[in-house]
Amino acid sequence: MSVLGIIAGRFTGGLAGTAGRIMAEEEIHLDENGEVITHHWLLPETAEIIYGGIASLLIFAALWKFAGPAIKKAMAARTERIQKELDAAAADTAMAAEEAAEIRRAKGDIESEKARILSEARAQAEAVLADGRARLAQEVAELEAKAVADIAGAEGRVGDELRAEIASLSAAAVDHVVSGSLDDATHQELIESFIKTVGASA
Amino acid sequence: MSDNRIEGYARGLFEIARAEGTLDTVENELYRFARAYEGNDALRKALTDDLIPPAKRQAIVEDLLGGKADSTTTQLISMVIGAGRGRDLPKIVDSLVKRASTVKHQEFAEVRTAVALTADQHKRLEAALVKATGKQVNLKVVVDPSVLGGVVATVGDTVIDGSVRTRIEQLKSRL
Repeated sequence: MSVLGIIAGRFTGGLAGTAGRIMAEEEIHLDENGEVITHHWLLPETAEIIYGGIASLLIFAALWKFAGPAIKKAMAARTERIQKELDAAAADTAMAAEEAAEIRRAKGDIESEKARILSEARAQAEAVLADGRARLAQEVAELEAKAVADIAGAEGRVGDELRAEIASLSAAAVDHVVSGSLDDATHQELIESFIKTVGASA
Repeated sequence: MSDNRIEGYARGLFEIARAEGTLDTVENELYRFARAYEGNDALRKALTDDLIPPAKRQAIVEDLLGGKADSTTTQLISMVIGAGRGRDLPKIVDSLVKRASTVKHQEFAEVRTAVALTADQHKRLEAALVKATGKQVNLKVVVDPSVLGGVVATVGDTVIDGSVRTRIEQLKSRL
């Protein structure tokens, strides 16, 4: 028996009891203070239990009859709402999982892009470095070759200048020596030799 | 000066010398003077200086040649210098000599020596050149110390070089 039934039974039982007692003129026991004495401080009388139980059943039946559909409907609506909320939550969870996956994928893409860019940058740096080294080596080789050629040219020029200087000095010396050694007899000898050579060449 | 003008002066001098009957002498003296004139910067500068009056330039010529050359030679040079044609004197004289050679049916021959030739050497050299070239030559001798020794003979386009200078140049070239 529910509490409500007990209370209802107690109430109805009380009324019924009082009415019964009044109607049947049930013997009523009083204490010295004039208060009614019951057989138990909590439990009602047997008849009261029967009337209360019947009343409770009636109330429950009425409730079942009239409030049941509304309660069932409200419960169904609540269930539907909760289900919707659960579905929405599941959808949100799935979406969040998808976004998380997307973010993870994007992160992965970013990582791979970063790795690719770094790899390309390293490759380009290596290429630039190798090219620079090659150019430097070539320039050094060209400078060396030019220096060797310049040195050879300078040696040649110095040699030529030296030879020219020696020739010039020698020629000047020859001029000086020859002009100094050409006396009149030699002049005459040279002229006679020329006349003889020209005359003999006919 | 244009070639026509040089030829005109040469023809004029030639005709005067021939009219005077001293063509050979004048021709030789003009030739020697022209070569000396070419080789002497101071003389050339003095005789071509327009700031010096013509009369003074002619006086210089007469001072130089007076008594040493035929009077016709002196007067002809003086005339060219007085006319302000001193710069062209060598060309005028060369043209005159070529004209004289042509008239005498001779080939102009220039001989450069370090010392002057004797008359005998002149004669024998002329004969040797005639023999060598097969042509009569109008021989002009120029004393040119730059030759150093020996002889350089130019007959027409032919050069016969027996000079010490050339041998030294060849030696320089080999060095």
